[in-house]
Amino acid sequence: MSRTQTTHRIALLFNANKVYDREIIAGIGHYLQSTRVVWDLFLEEDFRCRLNGIEQWDGDGIIADFDDPAVCAALHQCQMPVVAVGSSYRDAALYPVNLPYIATDNAKLMELAYGHLIDVGLQQFAVYSLPAAPENRWAQEREAAFQSLLDADGMTGEIYRGASTSALAWNESLEQLSAWLLALPKPVGIIAVTDARARHLLQACLMAGLAVPEQVAIIGIDNDPLTRTLTRTPLSSVIQGGDEMGRTAAHLLHKMLHGARFPGVRILVPPVGINVLASSKHEPPASPYVMRARHFIRQYGCQGIKTEQVADYVGVSRSSLEEYFRRELGHTVHHEILRHKLELAQTLLSGQQHSSAEIAIRCGFTSLQYMYAVFRRELGCTPKEYQERMRNPASSEHGLGSAP
Amino acid sequence: MTHSVQISSAIWGKLPAGDAVTRYTLRNAHDMQVSIMDLGGSLQSWLAPDRSGRLVDIVLGHPEAADYAAQRTYMGALVGRWANRIAGASFMLDGMRYAVDPNEGQNLLHGGWHGFDCVFWDVAEVDGGLQLKYESPEGEGGFPGKVAVTVVYRLDDDGTLTIAYDAVTDAPTPLNFTNHAFFNLSGPRTDIRGHILTLDADHFLEIDAASIPTGIAEVAGNAFDFRTPAPIGARLDWPNAQLERAGGFDHCFVLRHNPAEPHALRRVASLYDPASGRELTVSTTEAGLQLYTGNHIAGQKGKAGAIYRKHDAVCLEAGAFPNRINMPDPEAVILRPGSRYRQITQYRLGVRDDA
Repeated sequence: MSRTQTTHRIALLFNANKVYDREIIAGIGHYLQSTRVVWDLFLEEDFRCRLNGIEQWDGDGIIADFDDPAVCAALHQCQMPVVAVGSSYRDAALYPVNLPYIATDNAKLMELAYGHLIDVGLQQFAVYSLPAAPENRWAQEREAAFQSLLDADGMTGEIYRGASTSALAWNESLEQLSAWLLALPKPVGIIAVTDARARHLLQACLMAGLAVPEQVAIIGIDNDPLTRTLTRTPLSSVIQGGDEMGRTAAHLLHKMLHGARFPGVRILVPPVGINVLASSKHEPPASPYVMRARHFIRQYGCQGIKTEQVADYVGVSRSSLEEYFRRELGHTVHHEILRHKLELAQTLLSGQQHSSAEIAIRCGFTSLQYMYAVFRRELGCTPKEYQERMRNPASSEHGLGSAP
Repeated sequence: MTHSVQISSAIWGKLPAGDAVTRYTLRNAHDMQVSIMDLGGSLQSWLAPDRSGRLVDIVLGHPEAADYAAQRTYMGALVGRWANRIAGASFMLDGMRYAVDPNEGQNLLHGGWHGFDCVFWDVAEVDGGLQLKYESPEGEGGFPGKVAVTVVYRLDDDGTLTIAYDAVTDAPTPLNFTNHAFFNLSGPRTDIRGHILTLDADHFLEIDAASIPTGIAEVAGNAFDFRTPAPIGARLDWPNAQLERAGGFDHCFVLRHNPAEPHALRRVASLYDPASGRELTVSTTEAGLQLYTGNHIAGQKGKAGAIYRKHDAVCLEAGAFPNRINMPDPEAVILRPGSRYRQITQYRLGVRDDA
C-alpha cells in the first residue's frame, strides 16, 4: 500500500451511537481543520467499534474509547501511539498505564448538576444511576461524586440504580422506578447519570402523577437532542466537553506522531455548560410573608389598600416586606397591588359587559384617567384598544405589552 | 444605551499614613453594583447576578485598603504609565536612551516602583459615570514628560462597564494603560479551571523566562487556540513549553482587527462560567489582550474571609503588546505633545442558560 509520508493513518475506536462519542469525534475533526493536519481516518461505517485484528492493523496511531473494557484489553500491548479517552476515576489505579488519557471530569459534571439544583432552591437530592457493569464504570464514578458532594455539605440523599433497559422488563422497571419516586421526600432534585436515564424519570413521574419540576426537578447529563425530542417536558442537561476532549486527544496524538511521548499524562475536561430547560426550573415556595401578603392583596386589592395595610396584615415592617417582595418577586408591594387591579380590569374588559368607567371603579382605580395611564404604561394601549383587541384579535398587530 | 445609574460614595478605609480611601459605587437599574476606589482607581468589587438573580462579587480584591498599597498585586487597578513589561527597563526614544524602574528583575513591570495603582486619583461624578484624573509628573518611574490622564468608568443597564482612557503629554513618552481586574465568575466558589474562554486571536506572543515577548506564534494546533470556546482548566494541562514557563497563561494575544480600522472598538473575548451562567464579554480598541490565569496567587487573604489560590482568577488585560517600545515600529505606542492617547475597553456581564 502506498501513501505519502506525511499522511498518517489513524484509527478512531468508538461506539459513536451516543452524542458524547460523536462530539469527541467532531472535536478530533475540528482540531485537524484548525491545523491543516491531514490524517487518513479509519472508523467503522456504522460507528461501531470492532476490534478483531486491530493488533495487525497497518496504521500509525489510535484514539480509542477506554470506557469499553474490550478496547482496554485489545490495546494493552499496542506498539503504536495510542491516546485513551474515557471516564475519570477517583482511584488512579483504574487508569491505563503508560498511555495519555483524556477524561470527562465526572466530579465536575456532578458538581455542576448538584449546584444547579441548589441554585433553583432545592434541599433534597437523589441520583438515578445504572446497574453496575464493566462498560459503565463512569456511572459509579458519578454516584461517588454525588456522595462526596453530599458528605461535604453534611447531607444525605438516595442513589437508585434501577434495572438495565430491556423491552420485556420495561413496564416492570418503570413501575419500580415510580415506586421509588413516590417514596422520596418532596420536593426533590434528581440527577440522572445520562439523558436516557432522565427520560425514564420523566416517564415514571408522569405515570406516578408527580409534577415536574414542582415536586421532582430533573437534570440529565449529555444534552442529547434526540432525548429532548422524545420528552414532553423539556429536559435540563449538563453538557460534557466532548469537543474539547476530541481536540485534546488529537493534539496529543499529533505530537506523538512526531516523537513526543506522554505516558501517564491525564487531562480532565470539565463540562462546558448546562442547558437549563423546564425540567429543572423549580421555584422555591414563596416566603410565608409573601404568600400571606399576596393572599391579602387578592382579597382586598381592589378596595384601595396601600402597602402599609398589607404590611400590617402580614405583621412585618413595611421595609422588610418590600425587601421580601424585591427578593422573591423582583417588584414592590405597590406594583403587586397594581398588577392585581390591572389583571382584574383586563378580565372585565374582555367580558365586554361593563363600561370602562364602571371597571375603573370596581378595580379600585382612583379615576378613569388613572386606569388609562396604567394601561398605557403597562400594556402600551388604552382600555378601549385592549377591549378592541380582545374582540378581534386578528386585527391587532402588537402582542400584549409590546411597546407602541 | 441607558444610564439610570445611581452613584454613592463612602470612606472605605485608611492607609497607614492616615490617608482616607474613598469608595464610589455605581448601581444600575438591575441592582448590579460596581465599586471603584480613588486609590489606584481600582475596580474594588462588582456584584453581578447569576442565572437565578443572586448577586455575588465577581472580582478578587484585598480585605483592607492598606493591603492594596502594601502588597501591590494590581487587583482591579488602573495600570500605567506602562502596563506589562519593558525589557531591561530601558528604551530608545528620539535618539535618547531612557532608564525606567527595574522593579521586576531587570525589567519594568506595571509602571515601576510607584505606578498608577499606588496613587490617589481625583474622582468626580460626570453624567452617570465616574471621572478619575491623575497628573503623572515628569520623570515618574523614569518616564519623560508630564502626562495628564483621565479615565471614565461608566455602568449601563445592560451590564456593560466601560473604561475610557484619555491622556495628553508635554514631551514624547511611551504609554500603555490597562485595568487589571481579577475575574472569577463563580464568586469565587471554585477556581477558574471550569470557565470557558473564547478569544478572537490567531496569534499570541511567545515569551522568554523573564516573560518578555520573543516572537509571534500561531495559536493553531496548540493550547493557545481559543478561537472556539474551550475550558481553561483542560488547556492548562496541555503539554506546552510556553505554559510550563509561565506556570499557566501569562501571554499576550494578538487580537484580530480590521487593517483599515485597527483601533475600532470590537468584541474580542468572552468568559463563561457554566455553573452560575455568568458570561463576561470583553470589547476593546487595543491591539493586544494579556491572558493571565492567576499563576502566582498562593494563599493570599481576600475579601469576605476568602483565601485565594493558584488559578482562582482570570485577568483579561487589554493594551498594547508588552515591550512594544523595544519592538519594531515603536511609534504606535509613543504619545507626542499635541496628540491624544485614547483607549476604550468594555467588560459586559450577562447570564446564559445554555452552552
